[in-house]
Amino acid sequence: MADFEKISELMQKGKADEVKQLCAEALEEGVAPKDVLDMALLAAMNIVGVKFKNNEVFVPEVLIAARAMNFGLEILKPAMVDDDIEEIGKVVIGTVKGDLHDIGKNLVKIMFEGKGLTVIDLGADVSAEKYVEAASNENANVIACSALLTTTMTQMEAIVKAAEDAGIRDKVTIMVGGAPVTQKFCDSIGADIYAADAATASEKALEVCTK
Amino acid sequence: MTGKEKVLAVLNKEKIASIPWLPFAGVHSGRLKGYTAREVSTDAAKLIESLREVNKLYKPDGQPIMFDLQIEAEILGCELLWSEDAPPTVSTHPLSDTADIPEHIPAVNEGRIPLAIEAMKAMKGEIGDTTALYGLITGPFTLASHLRGTNIFMDMIMNPSYVTELLGYCTKVAKAVSTFYIEAGMDVIAVVDPLVSQISPDHFGEFMDKPFAEVFDLIRAAGAKSSFFVCGNASANIAPMCKTRPDSISVDENVNLATAKKITDEYNVVIGGNIPLTSVMLFGTQQDNMKNTVDLIDSVDNTDLLIIAPGCDMPYATPVENTIGVQQAVHQTEQIREMVKNYEGTEIEFEGELPDYNNLEKPFIEVFTLDSITCAACTYMKASAVDIKEHFGDKIDMIEYKYTDPQNIARCKVMEVKQLPSIYINGELKYSSIIPNRSEFIAVVEKCL
Ligand code: B1M
Repeated sequence: MADFEKISELMQKGKADEVKQLCAEALEEGVAPKDVLDMALLAAMNIVGVKFKNNEVFVPEVLIAARAMNFGLEILKPAMVDDDIEEIGKVVIGTVKGDLHDIGKNLVKIMFEGKGLTVIDLGADVSAEKYVEAASNENANVIACSALLTTTMTQMEAIVKAAEDAGIRDKVTIMVGGAPVTQKFCDSIGADIYAADAATASEKALEVCTK
Repeated sequence: MTGKEKVLAVLNKEKIASIPWLPFAGVHSGRLKGYTAREVSTDAAKLIESLREVNKLYKPDGQPIMFDLQIEAEILGCELLWSEDAPPTVSTHPLSDTADIPEHIPAVNEGRIPLAIEAMKAMKGEIGDTTALYGLITGPFTLASHLRGTNIFMDMIMNPSYVTELLGYCTKVAKAVSTFYIEAGMDVIAVVDPLVSQISPDHFGEFMDKPFAEVFDLIRAAGAKSSFFVCGNASANIAPMCKTRPDSISVDENVNLATAKKITDEYNVVIGGNIPLTSVMLFGTQQDNMKNTVDLIDSVDNTDLLIIAPGCDMPYATPVENTIGVQQAVHQTEQIREMVKNYEGTEIEFEGELPDYNNLEKPFIEVFTLDSITCAACTYMKASAVDIKEHFGDKIDMIEYKYTDPQNIARCKVMEVKQLPSIYINGELKYSSIIPNRSEFIAVVEKCL
């Protein structure tokens, strides 16, 4: 019987090859890929997210766990039948224009993926137009913007405006975050959701996509 | 004691009666002279003029010359994204797709090092006797991440020997640049490494111990003092940082200063910090800044081995009066504590009567100061008003209200004076914090005659 606990533990330690192998073994044993995904990989990512939030693990540990998750996903994805891979939702993410802090954004992305969301990563220094263009082309549910500087967080207002101008404002949820961003700021620029950390961000995004 | 003597005494672990004040005015210095961040990052004359103004207005005991973590990276091939209201940023990472270790060590005449050195030498001549001068270099880990990108985090686990080697190279760069700056007269070399806050103490021990200890040893051997600056939540790494033997460390608002100080005290290392940059210095009022600083000083067990500084590089647009408020609170803590108390106490009623500003006989200049004796900016503001009064003689009236008197605090409240020092003419705010230039001031008064 597949040991989800063990896969989860190995994934948290970033043991990518072992995770890959155990995922393959689980499939051979006839375990449903969706179960391995939910009960081993995504569960592990959840734990990592909480530990990061509590300052128990740091950036390298999160990144390495995410890599191991992706190794596991490589095995699981091809095995998933169509109704297993029902797309939960799509998020376009990036760090705003003029801002090159991308560590936080990358962690948020990982947690989104850890919730099974499809993520389109636009990188850092992303203009308002680029977010909106990507969101329209991809038919995204959420635009997620990260900013770490007080001089660049004002860009978020431009993104809300660009979404209005492009006529997609009612179709897309705009989520904002990053160290200087607050709920008050979110409200003041007319964005929809503020999240203080990556774990919360992913929960809120999932909520939007499954509503 | 001069400011410099205070800083050096504390860094020598002596107990002194006062706390040194170290404003991290990087590109913010330019704002004092109307220059953009880009101008003070690329033009020595404008930088020097701005640094002079920082020294004049903020009365620092110690002062950085440049707060720019991109100088070394630019020389080593990183492209920069420039901004008018922030320092430039690294936008490309030359080692992102290769495991090569570079060999080139920046020379003293490369990139913007000559600019930094010119400013260092000029400031050494002008204020170096009284102010401790800080030369800031990019720490080995942050430099490595500039070169490699954030892949470096994964490398720490997947390819540790590569990281060790890359950090070894970056340490050589840090040592070379430290030497240039010490030779240019810097009293203290600050090794600035914000990325250190993002790794575990175990990783710190594995990778960072040796590089940082080596840089601090070199600085010590060269007869200068050292500081380890970190930004972000470095709470878990305070002890490991102390073990690399810097003379001091400096932390931002993500670290609880009182808790961290218990640790630095054990290691006999000075701690500096940590006025919140955004919520307080950038967006707070002058009152908030004074209160925050007094509270911060009150929060620590003892004020030995302590430097008060902003959490990190001050935002370009930090209001001048906020920094002045912090300065006053560090240098005149008791007086400011009293002022804050009086301001917060709602019981003080304004007992006087405001002048009938619409029906004045002559133009009336009112100078509101924290205290024109102890606050440098206030001294200049008051002096400029005295000068104008002398110029116009009996044709105008002039008065100073010091914030040290509770009735003056009450007057400020009634008149809605938000920033000190300020000059009001006929009841209207004309100048705040930045000292007016004489001819302009005369013209303004003449219009009121
Ligand atoms: C969509 O919805 C969401 C929801 C939640 C979201 C979200 C989006 N995005 C983030 N979250 C949230 O989830 C994440 C995980 O829980 C969290 O993300 P964070 O990004 O907050 O957290 C990360 C996981 C870890 N944290 C970080 O990665 C940031 C840490 C600190 C130390 C930091 C770092 C590492 C760096 N920096 Co910079 N840096 C600082 C930071 C200090 C601090 N107090 O935050 C900060 C942000 N930096 C600052 C500055 C001034 C600068 N930095 C600069 C450069 C750098 C480095 C390159 C050295 C490096 C970045 C490397 C990189 N590739 O990202 C420069 C500018 C760069 C630019 N234009 O982008 C420079 C201007 C420095 C200079 N003088 O050259 C300060 C900003 C001040 C301000 N308020 O404007 C700063 C607060 C440091 C300080 N105390 O002064 C949450 O905020």
